[in-house]
Amino acid sequence: MDGREGLRIAVRSVRAHKLRSALTVVGIVIGIASVITFATFGASVQAEIIGDIGDSNAGNIYVFGTPSDDEGFDRVLQPVFTEADLAAISEIDGVTAVLPRGSIQVSSIRAGNQTLARSQVTATTPESITTGSIVAGRSFTSGEREVVVNERLATGFSKNLTAGSTLTLRYPDGEERPVTVTGVVNGTRGELPVSNFARQPRLFAPVDPFYEAVVESPSAGVRQRAYPQVTVVTDPRQTAETRKAIEDYLADDADARQLSASDTELVARSGSDFIDEISDVIERITRFVTGIGVISLVVGAIGIANVMLVSVTERTREIGIMKAVGARNRDIMSIFVIEAALLGTLGSLLGVPLGLLVGRGAAAYADVTFALAPDWIALAVGVGVVVGIVAGLYPAWRAARIDPIDALRHE
Amino acid sequence: MSETAATATAASDDAEPTVVVEAVSKHYTVGSRVTALDGVSLTLPTGSYTAIMGPSGSGKSSLLNLIGGLDTPSSGHVAVDGKPVSTASEDERAAIRGTDIGFVFQTFNLMPRLTAVENVALPLVFDGWSRTERLDRATDRLEAVGLANRTDHVPSELSGGQRQRVAIARALAPDPALILADEPTGNVDTDTGATVLDIFDELHAAGNTILLVTHERHVAERADQIVHITDGEIGSIEATGEA
Repeated sequence: MDGREGLRIAVRSVRAHKLRSALTVVGIVIGIASVITFATFGASVQAEIIGDIGDSNAGNIYVFGTPSDDEGFDRVLQPVFTEADLAAISEIDGVTAVLPRGSIQVSSIRAGNQTLARSQVTATTPESITTGSIVAGRSFTSGEREVVVNERLATGFSKNLTAGSTLTLRYPDGEERPVTVTGVVNGTRGELPVSNFARQPRLFAPVDPFYEAVVESPSAGVRQRAYPQVTVVTDPRQTAETRKAIEDYLADDADARQLSASDTELVARSGSDFIDEISDVIERITRFVTGIGVISLVVGAIGIANVMLVSVTERTREIGIMKAVGARNRDIMSIFVIEAALLGTLGSLLGVPLGLLVGRGAAAYADVTFALAPDWIALAVGVGVVVGIVAGLYPAWRAARIDPIDALRHE
Repeated sequence: MSETAATATAASDDAEPTVVVEAVSKHYTVGSRVTALDGVSLTLPTGSYTAIMGPSGSGKSSLLNLIGGLDTPSSGHVAVDGKPVSTASEDERAAIRGTDIGFVFQTFNLMPRLTAVENVALPLVFDGWSRTERLDRATDRLEAVGLANRTDHVPSELSGGQRQRVAIARALAPDPALILADEPTGNVDTDTGATVLDIFDELHAAGNTILLVTHERHVAERADQIVHITDGEIGSIEATGEA
C-alpha cells in the first residue's frame, strides 16, 4: 500500500469524526503552544537582557568582593576598595577610567509634600554620568549638593522632576538635607549589568560630599573613602590583559585584600561573564518551564492514544474487510499510525502559531523585544509528529492483530 | 473475464484444479474442544460452480474461511490456484486473499466511507496498483455489474442489491482465480437475490470458478454440484441437472 492512500484513508477518518478529532488535536495544540510560548518568551528575555548589557559595556570590568562559597550578590558588599586602590588600578595599563560605586543609606526622598520611600541612592563620580545618558539637564558637580535622577524617579512624583528641582533626603538618623537635581539620566556608566533590570527609581550623587564610608587605608596609612564596588573601564582591545593585571593587583597589594575577610574573594568580572551567567540562568529557567509544557504534550499524546484505541474498536469490521481483501498486518498498522501522526501534525501546525502569538503577547506584556527560537519551533513540530506516531503505535498494533474472521462478525 | 474460457462443467482431470482441500480438520477450543471440520477433502475444478449446503454449525463457514485463507486448518492441506494457503505465512495469505480470491459476503462488508469505485478498488490498493490504474479497473468492474452510474456513491446511498453488486465488483477487481460467496442472497429481497444469482451465472459462464455457501435449496441448485456438510463432514456431493 502506498503512503498516499494511507493518508487519504486517515484524512477521511479524521473528517468523519470532526469533533472528536478536534478535541484530540486540542491536547497537542496546547502542549506545542505552551512549549513554543515558554521557549520564545525565554529567548526574548535573554535577547533583551544581553542587548541591555550591550556592547557599550564590553570593556567594563566589575570589581567587587564575594564570599568564596557564594555565587550571588545576596550578601551586603563591604566597602573595602579604598581611594588608594582606585589610584593604583587607574595606573594599570589599559585602564581608561575607574568608577567607584557606593550606596548611601536614605530612608526616604521628598519632593514638595510627597515622600517616596525605598529608593536606591548611589554615590559615584561625575565620570559615571556620560553625555549620552543625560536626558535632560547636566551631570552633578563633585563637592556640591547636587544629584541626578533616573527617569523612573523623575516621573515618580505627581510633578515631574526636572533640572533645578529640589529634593529632600531623609537619612536613617532622622536628619533631612536638601539637594538640587541637575539632570535626568537613563542610566550610568559602570553599573553592574544586573542592576538595569529592576527599573526602580534611582538617584545618583557625587561621592563628595555624600559618601561617608571611610576606612583606614593600610597602604596610605590614612582614613579615606572606601567602596564596595568599582567598575573599571578598559580599552576594549586589551580588556583581557588589563583584567589579568587587575586580578594580580587585587590578589597581592590591594588595600581591599587586607580589609576583606579571608574567605572573601575579590573578583574582576567582565561584562561577558555576566552575560554568560545570566544567559545560563535564563536558559535553565526556560528549560524547566518548557519542561512543564512538555507535560501537557504528554497528556495530548495520551489523548491521541485513547482516541485511536476507540477508533480501532469502532473500525474493527473495516479492519476485517481490509484484511479479507488483501491488507497485510503492516498495512493496517500503517493506516492507524498515519492517522495518529496526522492528528499530531495537525496539533503542531496549529500549536506553533498559537504559541508564537502567546509568546509575543507575553513579550509585549513583559516589555521585552520578541525574539524567535527557531530550533525550539522545529523541535516542537517534530515532537508533535513523533508524539502522534508513538501514541498511535499501540492502537495500530492492536488493530493489526485483529483476527479477520472475528472482525467480519463484529457488529 | 473471458480469458479463462473453460466450459461450465469442465472438470477435466488433467488441468490443475483451482481448489484442493485434503483431509482438512479444524478444531477450536472454546471452553471445551470443538471440531468444526473433520477430515474434509474436496476438489473444485477450474471453471466449476459449487454450492455448499448444511445447517448452521455444520462447518460450512469454517470451510469457506479455510479455503479463503482467512483461517488455517488444524491439520490437512488447502491449495488455491496451486498456492498452499494452509502453510502460507500471514502476509502470504493476505496476498492470496487480495489477488487470487474474491469474497462476496452476506452483509456486503463495504467500507462505509469509501465510494463505490473506491470500495471496488480496495483490493488493488493492497496489491500496490497506482491510483489511476486501480480506479480504471474498478470503474470497469462496476460497469460489468451495471453500476456505471453509481461509482461515486458511498454504500449508505445505495440499495441492498446495489451494495451487493458493488461487493461482487470488488471481488472481481483483481481477476481472482476463485470467487467465494457466503450467503450472497441472504440479506437482499427475492427479486434482488435473483439478480445477484444471475450475475453469478454470467460469471460462471465466463469461466470463473465459484464456491457459494447457502442454506437455500433454490440458490444451491444454480450450481453444478452441491456439497452437503453435516457435523464437520461431507455427507454427499450431489450433481445438479444442467438447466
